[in-house]
Amino acid sequence: MDADHDLDCRHAARLLTLACERVLDEGERAALKRHLSECFMCRNFEDQLRFLREAAKRFGAG
Amino acid sequence: MPQAAPAADRFAEIESHRPYLVRYALAQLRDPALAEEAVQEALLAALEGVGGFDGRSTLRTWLTSILRFKVVDLQRRQVKERAHVQLDEGATAEGADDPWLDDFFDETGHWRTPPQAWNDPEAALDQRRFWEVFEGCLGKLPPTGGRVFFKREVMGEETEAICAAEGITPANCWVILHRARVALRACLEQNWFGEAARGR
Repeated sequence: MDADHDLDCRHAARLLTLACERVLDEGERAALKRHLSECFMCRNFEDQLRFLREAAKRFGAG
Repeated sequence: MPQAAPAADRFAEIESHRPYLVRYALAQLRDPALAEEAVQEALLAALEGVGGFDGRSTLRTWLTSILRFKVVDLQRRQVKERAHVQLDEGATAEGADDPWLDDFFDETGHWRTPPQAWNDPEAALDQRRFWEVFEGCLGKLPPTGGRVFFKREVMGEETEAICAAEGITPANCWVILHRARVALRACLEQNWFGEAARGR
C-alpha cells in the first residue's frame, strides 16, 4: 500500500466535513474509504457529522 | 396615511415566530438581552409594515429578513464596544493544515480526544435539556463560525451566498465550517453524549 495515499485522522476528518459541502473526487473517496475501514474514531466522527446536520435542521424548523 | 391595525390573528401569527427569531438572534449576537432587543424591534417593524408582506416568501422568512437588519445594527454596536480586536477568524490556512486544528489532533495526525460512539443520538432530539445544551454549544462558537454554521445548517442557505455575504472566499468558508463542526461535535460530546456527561 502506498503510504503517501494513506490518510491520517486529521485529513480524514477534513475530507468528511468537505463532503458536507461538495462531492469528493474519486481519489478522495477511495482514500477516505480506506481510512474509515480501519478507523472507528473517524467512523464515529462521520456518524456525528450526520447527526449534527439533522439536529441543526431540526433546530431551525423550530 | 396610518396603517390599519392588523387583525388579532395576524398579530398572533407573527408572535408565534418569536421563539425561532430569538434563537436566530441569539446565535448571531451571543447575548440574550441584545437578542431580545433585536427581536422586539423586528416584530414591531413587522407589525407596522405588515402590509409590505406580499406573501411570496413564508412569513418566517420575511420576519427573519427584517430581523437580519436589526441584528447587523446591533452587531455593529457590539463591535464598537469591544475593548480589543477579535482574533482573525478568517482562516488563511488550507484544509487540514489549519493550525486551529492542533487542539484536536496531535503531531501524528491522531485525535487527541477520539470521538466516542454516541448511543442513540436521535433520542436526544426529543429532550428539551438537549436543545438547551445544543444552543449553548452553538453560542460557544466564535462569531463568524457560529454565523456561517447557523446560516448553512440551521437556515439551509447555500455556501456561496453565505461566503459572499461574509466577504470571504469559499475555501475560507469551508475551513470555518470545518472548525465549527469539529468544535460543535466536541462540545456536544463533552456536555451531553460523552461518558463523563452521561455519568452525571
